[in-house]
Amino acid sequence: MDVFLQQLVNGLTIGSLYALVALGYTMVYGVMKLINFAHGDLVAFSAFAGLTIYTQLFDDGTTSLVAVVSVFAFTAAVIAVVGVLLERLAYRPLRTAPRLSAVVSALGAGLVIQNAIMLIWGPNMKIFPSDLLPSTVYEVGGVVFTFTQVMILGFSSVLMVALFMFINRTKMGTAIRAVAIDQDAARLMGINVNRVIMLIFIIGSALGAVAGLFLGIYYRGISFDMGWQYGLNAFVAAIIGGIGNIPGAMAGGLLLGLFNAMISGYFSSQWAEAFTFILLIVILIFRPTGIFGEKVAEKV
Amino acid sequence: MKNITLTTKIAIGFMLVMGLYPLFADSAWLAIGTTFLVYACVAFSQDIILGRAGAFNMGHALFFGLGAYATAILNVHFGWPILATWIPAVLLPVAVSVLFIGPIIHLRGDYLLVATIGLNIIFLQLLENDIFGLTGGPNGIFGIDVIEVFGVALFSQTYMYYLAFILLAITLFIMRSLDGSKFGRAMFYINKDEVAAQSMGISIRFHKLYAFALGAGIAGAAGSMFAVQYSAVSPEAFSVIQSIMFFTIVLVGGSASLPGVLIGTFVMFVLPEIFREFEEARYLVFGIAMILTMILRPRGIWPVKFGNIPEFLKKGVK
Repeated sequence: MDVFLQQLVNGLTIGSLYALVALGYTMVYGVMKLINFAHGDLVAFSAFAGLTIYTQLFDDGTTSLVAVVSVFAFTAAVIAVVGVLLERLAYRPLRTAPRLSAVVSALGAGLVIQNAIMLIWGPNMKIFPSDLLPSTVYEVGGVVFTFTQVMILGFSSVLMVALFMFINRTKMGTAIRAVAIDQDAARLMGINVNRVIMLIFIIGSALGAVAGLFLGIYYRGISFDMGWQYGLNAFVAAIIGGIGNIPGAMAGGLLLGLFNAMISGYFSSQWAEAFTFILLIVILIFRPTGIFGEKVAEKV
Repeated sequence: MKNITLTTKIAIGFMLVMGLYPLFADSAWLAIGTTFLVYACVAFSQDIILGRAGAFNMGHALFFGLGAYATAILNVHFGWPILATWIPAVLLPVAVSVLFIGPIIHLRGDYLLVATIGLNIIFLQLLENDIFGLTGGPNGIFGIDVIEVFGVALFSQTYMYYLAFILLAITLFIMRSLDGSKFGRAMFYINKDEVAAQSMGISIRFHKLYAFALGAGIAGAAGSMFAVQYSAVSPEAFSVIQSIMFFTIVLVGGSASLPGVLIGTFVMFVLPEIFREFEEARYLVFGIAMILTMILRPRGIWPVKFGNIPEFLKKGVK
C-alpha cells in the first residue's frame, strides 16, 4: 500500500507537468490543426533559460520568494516571445499549405531549438541549484513528499483552473473557442484570427515554460535533448485526452503520469515508455479519438 | 518504346550514372553511395505508405529495423547463410505491419501518426532490453557474415554497392509498375478524396494496409542489406529520429514523385555526410533549411506534376 500511495503522489506530480505541456499541444492543435512538434523543445529551452536567469540575476545565496517568482515570470515571458516568433516565422507562412508541410516545418523548428540549446549551453547535462525552492520533506502515513512536489501540484492546479475559466468565461476565451470551431466564420464575426493564434502561442508557451522550470527543479539534471522525451509524453497525454480538448489534455496528463508511476513502481522503469505507448494504442483501438474526444464527422 | 517521356529519360540517366559511379569513387565515397542506395529504397517504401496511400506513418524505421535484425539474428545466432535470411527479412516486417497496423489503420491522420511512433518506440525498447537474449541490448549484434554466392564471398565495397544498386533497381521497378496498376490507381483516388473513393467501392482499409505491407516488405529488404553492409546492427539506427528522417525525406523531396524522393534522400542523408566538418551547427542549419524548403515549396522540392492519373483520363483535363 505504501508503494501505491507513494507512486500516486509521484505520478500526480509528473502527471500535472505533462498536463501543463499537453495544454500547449492541444490548444495549438485545436485552433490550427497542427502538431506543434517544436513545443517539447521549447519546454527544454525554458529549463535552460530559467537556470541562466536564476544564476545570473537572482542567485545571491539566499532563497527569497521574490527571486523565485521573478525567475518564473521572466522565463515565461521569454518563452512566450520565442513561441510567438516560432508561429510567425515557421507556421504562419504555411497556413494555406498542405497539412504535412507544416508538420515538417514544426519538426525543423524543433531541430533548430534543440541545437540552439546545444550551441548556447553545450552538449553536457546542466544541474539545477538545490536552493531554488526549500528542500523541506514531509511525511504523512509513510508517504514521503517534498515541498517541490507540493508546489508543482498546487501551482499547476491553479494554472489549469485559471485557464479553464479563461477559456469558458471570458470574451477572449470565447473567441479562441470560435476560431477552433471555424476560422472563416470567426473572421466574419469580426474576430482577429491572427491575434487569437498569437494568444494561443503565448499561453501555451508560458505554460510550457512553467512546466520546463519545474522539471528542472524536480529532476535537477537537464539536457539539451530532454524536450523530445517530455514533449512526446505530453503529446501522448493530449492524444489520450482527445487532442484539441482542453480538459481532456489535463485529464490525459494526470492519467499518463499515474500510469507511468505505477509501471515504474510495480514493474520496471526500463519498460515505462513501451507501456506508455501500449496504453495509447489500446485506448485508440477502443476510442479512436481519445477518451474525451468527440466523434468528428469527416469533412467532405 | 515509341514515345520516351522526360521522366523515363531522367530515370535512365540516373541509373547510368549510379551504375558507373563505383568506377570514379574511392572507398569512403563508395560507402556513402551504398548507404544512399539503401536509404533511397527505404524512402521509396515510405513513399508508398505516406506519399501514395496518404497514411501518416512516422514509425517506418520499425520495418527497416525488423529486416536488419531478422538478418542479424538468424545469421549470428542461428548460422543461416545471408541469402536465406532475406526471405524472413522481408516476410517478418510484412507480418508485423498486417498484425499491428491492421487494428489501428482506421485512425484519423494524426492519431495514426502517434500510434506508429508508439510502435517504433516499443520495438526500440524490445531491442534495448535484449528481448529473449537475442538482440544484444544497446550494443546490438556484431559479426554478420558476408554474402556468399556459389562459394564466392562478396565482401568488397564494390560488391556491396552493386547489391544495393540491384535492390534499388527492383524497388524502382516496383514503384513504376505501381503507377499503372489497379492498386496504384486506387491509392491515388484514396489520397485525392477518401470519401469519394469509398463511394466508388474502393476499400480504404484494405488498400492502406496493402500499402503498409508492401512498404514494410521493401523496407525489410533494405534493412537486411543495411545489416550486411555494416556487418552489425544496433538500436539507434532504427530510432524514432530515423523514422522522422524518412517521413521528412518524402515530404521535402516531394511525395509520390520518384525524382523527389531521390532528391530528398540526397538532401537528408548525403549532404550531412559532405558537411560533416561543420559538425556543431550542422543540424541547426538543417532545421532552418527544412522550414525554408516547406515555406518556399510546400509540396516538396520536385513535386509530382499531375499525380499518377492514367493517361486516358488526362484528356480534356487541364
